[in-house]
This record gives sequence, C-alpha cells and structure tokens, in this order.
Amino acid sequence: MSARPDAPSSRPAPLGLRDLLVTVPDGDDTRTLLDNVSLDVGAGEILVVTGGSGSGKSTLLAAAGLLRRPDSGDVLINGEPTSSLSERRRTSLRRRDIAIVYQAANLLPALTAIEQLEIVGHINREKRSEVRRRAESLLTEVGLSERRHQLPGKMSGGERQRVGIARALMAGPSVLLADEPTASLDQDLSTQICALIAQQTQRRGLATVIVSHDETPLAHADRHLHLAGGHLEPVETGAGSIS
Amino acid sequence: MFLALRELRRTWRRFVLVGLVVLLVATLSTVLTGLANGLVTDGISGLRALPLTNIAFAPHSEATFSRSTLDRQALDDWREEPGVQSTPIGVSFVNAASESGGPSIDLALFGVEVDSFLFSEAHREPPSGETDAEGGLEGLVLSHELEEDGVEIGDRYRIDGAGTSLPVIGFTFGGTYGHVPIAYTDLSIWQRALYGDDAKGRFSAIALRLPSDFDIAAADRRAGTETLTKEGSYSGSPGYSAETATMTLIRGFLLVISALIVGAFFTVLTVQRTRQIGLLKAMGASSSYVLRDGIGQITVVVVLSSAAGALTGAGIIAVLSRGDVPIELSLPGVLSSAGLLVVTGVIGSLFAFRRIARVEPAIALGVEQ
Repeated sequence: MSARPDAPSSRPAPLGLRDLLVTVPDGDDTRTLLDNVSLDVGAGEILVVTGGSGSGKSTLLAAAGLLRRPDSGDVLINGEPTSSLSERRRTSLRRRDIAIVYQAANLLPALTAIEQLEIVGHINREKRSEVRRRAESLLTEVGLSERRHQLPGKMSGGERQRVGIARALMAGPSVLLADEPTASLDQDLSTQICALIAQQTQRRGLATVIVSHDETPLAHADRHLHLAGGHLEPVETGAGSIS
Repeated sequence: MFLALRELRRTWRRFVLVGLVVLLVATLSTVLTGLANGLVTDGISGLRALPLTNIAFAPHSEATFSRSTLDRQALDDWREEPGVQSTPIGVSFVNAASESGGPSIDLALFGVEVDSFLFSEAHREPPSGETDAEGGLEGLVLSHELEEDGVEIGDRYRIDGAGTSLPVIGFTFGGTYGHVPIAYTDLSIWQRALYGDDAKGRFSAIALRLPSDFDIAAADRRAGTETLTKEGSYSGSPGYSAETATMTLIRGFLLVISALIVGAFFTVLTVQRTRQIGLLKAMGASSSYVLRDGIGQITVVVVLSSAAGALTGAGIIAVLSRGDVPIELSLPGVLSSAGLLVVTGVIGSLFAFRRIARVEPAIALGVEQ
C-alpha cells in the first residue's frame, strides 16, 4: 500500500492533533509523555505508531480519543477543536465520532457477541430494531454471525477481537483508534485482524490510528511514526523498511 | 438497565450473598413489625374497642388512669356541654383470687355505669349471662379469653379491697389493657374496691363522645380536666411508650444496617467494575447512564429479596400467632417494612455515586491518570 499524498482537501481531516503536551507525575518530578505532538490523519488513512512500553502510546490514544485532556494543545475532530468543550459535549462527540479497539478486546463478560454491539445503540438511545439490524450486519461483515449468541468466555481471542472491531464500528465513527489490537493473538490471527481493520478503514473512510509494539500492522500502514521521548519520528513505510 | 438485567441473569451468583442478607433483614423486620403490632394490640385493644372519641383525665396525669382521679363536679361540668355524651369510668389493675380453688387472675377492672353508652355499646355482642334487672352490674363481665382459659359463669373471685367476693356473670368482647384482660363491673363496685367506703363519687376519668368541631380547650378550662383523643390516651397504657419506642429503635437500626450493607456491597461491586465502567464511559455512556444501570440492578435485587423476606416473615408470624406470643400480621405493616427496606437499600447504593462519577474513561485503555 502506498503512502497517501497530503493532498489539500476542502474537508478537514477527521483527526487532528495540535501541539499536544501531556505530562505525568513521576515521583517528585514530572515526565513528558507527549511533547508538543502535532499530526493529521485523513479519511481512509492508516497511521501506525510504534514505541516501547511506557513510551506513552496509550496516552496518545487516550488524548486523541478524548478520554483524557492534554496539559495543553488541542484535538480536532472533523476540524472541530475540543479542548474548550464541556465534558458533556466531549462525551457526545466520543459517542458519535470516535471508536476504540482495545487490547484483548475488552468485552463486557455478561453480554453475548451481538449484545456487545447492541449496548452501543442503547447508550446512544437508538431504536432497538434498527440497532439489531446494524449489529447483525456488522457481525456478518467480521464473519461472526454464527457466533452471535456466544458469551466472551466461550470465544477465542481472535473472535473476541473481531467482536471488538465490530463494536467499534457500531456508532458509525469517523476516527478509529486501535490499542495493541493484536497483542494477545498469534501471527495468523494478528494478520487477519489487521487486514480486517485495514479493510474497514478503506470501506468506511475512517481515520485510523493503530498503536502497536509488534510489526504486523505495518503491512497496512500508510504512515509509520515511532514514539520515543515524547516525540513522534517518521519511519519510512516503503517496501523493505518494515523489517 | 440493558447491562444490569443481563448481568443479573448470567452472573446471579455474585448477588446471592447480598440478596440473602437483605432477605433475612426483611424477615426480621417483618416479624418485629408483627410483634410491635401484637404488643400494641395487647396493650390497648380494650381501650381501642371502647365507643368513645376522647377521654378527660385529671390535669398532669399523662393519660395514665391510675394517676387520674376526678369527681362528680367535673362530670357535671362536662354534662352541661351541649352535644356531648359523657360517662365516668374507673380503671385499675387488680388481682382476683379464685374462691373455687382455681388460679388467681390479673384483671384490668373497668368500672362503668351499666346503662351508659360505654357499656351498652362497647360490646359487639351483649354479655352472656345475667345482668341485674335494675341495671346494676353486681359481678364481673370478663373478656372472652378468660373463658377460653377455663373460667366459668358463677365462679367467684375475691378482689382486694372490694370486701365481698364477686361472681362471674358473663363474658363479652373486652380485649386487653396493659397486657391484662379487662373485667367490667359496676362503677360503685369499682369505687368500693379502690377506695373502700371513702369513694365519694370518685372515678378515674370521663369517657366522652365529642362533636368533631368541639372546643376541647374551653371545656377543659371550665371542668378542670385534661382531655385527650382516644389515640392520645394509648400512651398512658402501662409499657406502651417503652414497647413502641423499643420496637421503633430496633427496626430503625435494622434499616440502617441494611442500607450500609447494600451500600458496602454496591461500593465493592463498583470497585471491581472500575475498568468496565471506564469502558462504558469511553463508549460514550454518561455517569448517570452507568449509575442508573447500577441502581436499577441493586433495586431489582433488593425488591426481590425484600419481597421474599416479607413473605417468610409473614409465614413466621402466622405460625407464632397460633401460640401465646402477642404477634399480629397486618398487610400495611408488612408492606411498609418491605418498602422502607427497598428505599433505604437504594439510598445505601447511592454511596457509590461519587466513585462511579470519578471513574475516568481513560481507564479502559489502561492509562492511569
């Protein structure tokens, strides 16, 4: 897959980060996890961020997903600045526009596959029949329609992550953030999950950020950045640069 | 309640313990309510059955018959009030020794004028046996429960101070006062039993039937009495206030304990679910969505276990009430104790509110703040 040209567009990028600064207390000191990070992720683009553990990858996702406020800087969702919005407004933006795929899927243990999706519609107060229809079709898309009444405890790791991806897509987001989506999977499954994320990014025109410490997602990356010391450094994504 | 109900169905085991605790508290609370009702009935059922609206006591007697003595003058003053029916009543506790070798019995001796509304209308049925043709009541008319205990018409009892022995001349619905069965007798006999030859027309109090808009304070000033409603006079029954206060205290404690247990359970549940709550918030759920779900869940648990506990308690009361225990099943009592338990349980679960509100959605990503 080739890198996307940064073509000027009339529509703003779904996800934009502007001078994000995030520090955390570290004993008596503070540690800078994100040091004035700026970037844009366009519709249909996949950005892969790698970095060692503790480098702040998850913090980057938390800030981009409006789960935590940065010390300074701003996150733009479809061009809309969010730093000055109320928590209520940020919650509703998160509900509508931002989808997160978690490490080890992070499913709710008491819900079946289809209910994991339906609860998203319930939180959004959508019509029940419409929610069910959409959930059925998403589960079919990720190849799990046969397993829709299974509880997470009875699913394999790969199945759980497929449900996690389908759940992320339930609200019809414009931004997809994936946190180590392949962490607990073997190589074959990892490849499949990454292919699924890439396919959905293309089909739905999502702005996708995958944070990972392994290299499987790089096969689908339009852009690859490495996070170290609070800075994002570009890594060439051309053939041969991966391994 | 999308998540709450499915959790209840699929992970019900974790709710069994708190459900059992609430069930036991509800059982105990229902039985105590029954006992409180039973004790109240045992204390004042005789008084409650009297066809009067108010009772005039001597001033400062605190609704206690034994502390109150009135005389003819007060009665005459009351008789002058228009639209008022009044009759003297004497109440005292006596020990009646059987002259036919049976056990002696404790009685609440009610001295009444036999042709007054108090006696003629007090009874849902006329007393069995004979009353004197002149309208006198030369003997004892006893509560039914004594008949069940083997006392018979014609048995003679000697009452301390009465000088003579009195025959049992009938049984009636009398009820109890101060946990002792009531015996009606003529006011003059009661006066002789209490004061000997020095009665001078004295009695304990005046039973009144007042019109609804009657100015009690003005009449009290004229007659020099202190008039209470029938319900207000219950507190003068021996032990009534102490028993009621004790039961109220125990039930209050039970409710507080139950609220704390439910609160503690819900708090632990919330801590266990921190990551799940973070996930729901990351998915766009508000704190109130999470809280409603949680409170809905605990409400279902508390309602079901309170209902089961109330039923169990009602069963225990039904069994106990066949014996000598003063216990009484009342539907409002059962419903109110179960209802209060539900309310306090839900209030208890609100302790977890701040904890839920504080959970950050970033927890879902494993990011600590």
